Amino acid sequence: MIETGRIALIIALPVAVFSVLASVIGARAASGRLYQNARYGILTVFGLYTLALALILYVFFTRDFSVRIVAEHASRDLPDLYILSALYADKAGSMFLWGWLISLFSVLLVFPARGNRQSIISYAIAILAVIEAFYIALVTFGVNIFAQHSSPPADGFGLNPLLQNLGMLIHPPLLYIGFAGLAVVFALVVAALISRDSGTLGNGLVRRWALFAWCTLGIGNLVGMWWSYNELGWGGYWAWDPVENAGLMPWLLGTAFLHSMAVRGRRNYLQVWSFCLIVFTFVFTLVSPFITHGGIESPLHGFYGSPFPPFILTVMIVVVIGSMVLLYVRRRDLKSEAKPAPFVSREGAFLITNIALVVLVSVIFIGTVLPRIVEVLGGAKIALDRSFFDKTCGPIMLLLVLLMGVCPLLGWGKMIWKSAGRNLIFFFLAVIVIAAAILISGIGNWYIAAVVLCGLPLFVIFREWWRGSVARHRNQGINYVGAFFSLINSNRARYGGFLAHVGIVIIALGVIVSSFYNIERTVTLDIGESMRAGKYELYYDELIFKQDNVKVSAVADILVSEHDKSVGIMRPSYAYWFSYGDFFAEVAVRTTAAEDLFVSLVWTDFDPEDRSATFRVLVNPLIVWIWTGGVFFLIGGAVAIASPDKPSSGDKG
Amino acid sequence: MGFRLKKYVIMKKRYLIGGGIILIAVVYLLYLSFGSSVSYYVTVSEFFSRSEELSETNVRVAGKVVDTSIEWDADDLELAFIITEGGRDMRIVYHGAQPSGFRGGTSILVEGKYNNEGVFRASQLILKCPSKYESIDIE
Repeated sequence: MIETGRIALIIALPVAVFSVLASVIGARAASGRLYQNARYGILTVFGLYTLALALILYVFFTRDFSVRIVAEHASRDLPDLYILSALYADKAGSMFLWGWLISLFSVLLVFPARGNRQSIISYAIAILAVIEAFYIALVTFGVNIFAQHSSPPADGFGLNPLLQNLGMLIHPPLLYIGFAGLAVVFALVVAALISRDSGTLGNGLVRRWALFAWCTLGIGNLVGMWWSYNELGWGGYWAWDPVENAGLMPWLLGTAFLHSMAVRGRRNYLQVWSFCLIVFTFVFTLVSPFITHGGIESPLHGFYGSPFPPFILTVMIVVVIGSMVLLYVRRRDLKSEAKPAPFVSREGAFLITNIALVVLVSVIFIGTVLPRIVEVLGGAKIALDRSFFDKTCGPIMLLLVLLMGVCPLLGWGKMIWKSAGRNLIFFFLAVIVIAAAILISGIGNWYIAAVVLCGLPLFVIFREWWRGSVARHRNQGINYVGAFFSLINSNRARYGGFLAHVGIVIIALGVIVSSFYNIERTVTLDIGESMRAGKYELYYDELIFKQDNVKVSAVADILVSEHDKSVGIMRPSYAYWFSYGDFFAEVAVRTTAAEDLFVSLVWTDFDPEDRSATFRVLVNPLIVWIWTGGVFFLIGGAVAIASPDKPSSGDKG
Repeated sequence: MGFRLKKYVIMKKRYLIGGGIILIAVVYLLYLSFGSSVSYYVTVSEFFSRSEELSETNVRVAGKVVDTSIEWDADDLELAFIITEGGRDMRIVYHGAQPSGFRGGTSILVEGKYNNEGVFRASQLILKCPSKYESIDIE
């Protein structure tokens, strides 16, 4: 029965090719009929793909272990909730889902009647159909996702316990949605250039898709950090692992693209730059599967024995070369009409932001691939530790934070400071002087200065909100709260941008402070002993053994008191999973606005007589700020997406 | 024509300046931080063939944990074990808790320094499982 799925996808392949031809020829001949055919082709591919997806989910739900993917990733005791996790725990399954999302997005793109935009949409769906065909070929001919198991086991191998977590349930799909959305943006921008409709580059369609994809990708990365922190037991959330970098780089490039678009929408320049950015953003979404499928070794995550990397690399190279050729052929259409703005203007600040982001991505990229390149070139095997990334990326990120503070004070295209900003220049200088003084006098380290710098954009943004709200309150007679919301509503792109910036700065504060002020202790305790970590006292009260049919676990009762006042019980556990033949820790975290108390049970002998156990205890300050910042970021993104299309929509602070 | 050419040259100059800034910044940052962050990455047998050069420097060594060699002193938090590769064994001492998934037969990367007493003092243990989140092929 599962074979039906494969047949559906194999039929979808020529349909996708037909859609490519129909839409391209239709666009050239301005034939409405061919365009309609291409639309139905895209819809048919989606229908067939969805049928295949439904079949895959069905065999998972029925635990049909005669299918390889089910036997390898699911088991009878796996909760149904984690069926999806089991699907993308597979090398073919992850690409399968990603391809399906691209198919879905293509339908969302062609379905609304677009009237005079037919030409650009035609080319865009042609490009998306090519990408779909690539994914379909990977999961049918590369690794057959529908393959039968040669000797079906009675029960499946099961899903890694670390992946049976809510964070891991939504982290991969969020990344795929972000990546697939960026493919749509790429297709639209390239289509605009092919169809000589360059004015469209700044139109609402590109902007909304870009914001949607970028926002989802950003949240996806944050959820990945949250999972790493709560599930992996090491007490951190970011290790500069190649896999993590692969999720971050396209997001950073997407950030640069959005900001260059904002300038482009306002003054008709930075066109070539914007084009190159979206090309590389799309190419960098492919770095992630390239790494996870084994192109670069990552200790954190890898699919075993995947044949995909050479194909993915080929596509990356073809996309870059193809786009550059197109750029050359169409170079006259991208002539900048406007004179570049003076350096000290909002355009100038956006430009520096762009350059800083590109430098940041370059450094991360070099750090990620260099060990592999040196090795391939026959040199020694080398490794870069995370201090490389901290030292190179830290300063650039601080510069970006600073720019978020400067930007709202500058006017578009004007050399002079906005009247609002003129008096703030003194405030700025004061903050920089204080920061420099902290550094030079040796009172504190550079991270104190970093925290001070983070205050800057927050102050400037809150001041803008305050001034705007007060003005509205005065002119329109609405109360302050109402005035604030009406202010946000008046220019959603600008104030949505501000909200996102506030989110980023809150995240930055959480990252800086938690990196430099954490306390870490590892201690082995007997029942009745206690330990100290910062202001906390942890009393090891009891160890209880529990067994069910998947695991045997030891659950510790830790009585926590703060300044000698009891604040509760924490229950970290340590379990042996039968199907995996391995131990996994389940951490306990107590979160307050100021800090997290993180307790992980890392070892016990499961001996009922001697119940000593080793605990790793961390006090991580401001961790919850990182997740809270993510909420601001998400709201900001949503507000900006909801912005109507008008020329001022480029006015993102 | 002359006007267009001039404009083209100005455009080109702008891109050259932009590209130049990016390039200089990248190279400068790499130069600043590269030396201190890079370490050699060798297998056990490769290490011993270059042990004079690599002793007392920070390296990463890859090998397999020998099943019967693991000694864990819970009170002193000291983990001692032997890793093997290419017929050579190396004794590792690590201060701290066992990483989850650590057991005999696991592929591991140890980061640290090899001292004159023939012991590798590890500052970090990295479990190297390409199949960590994906089951090994059962076929």
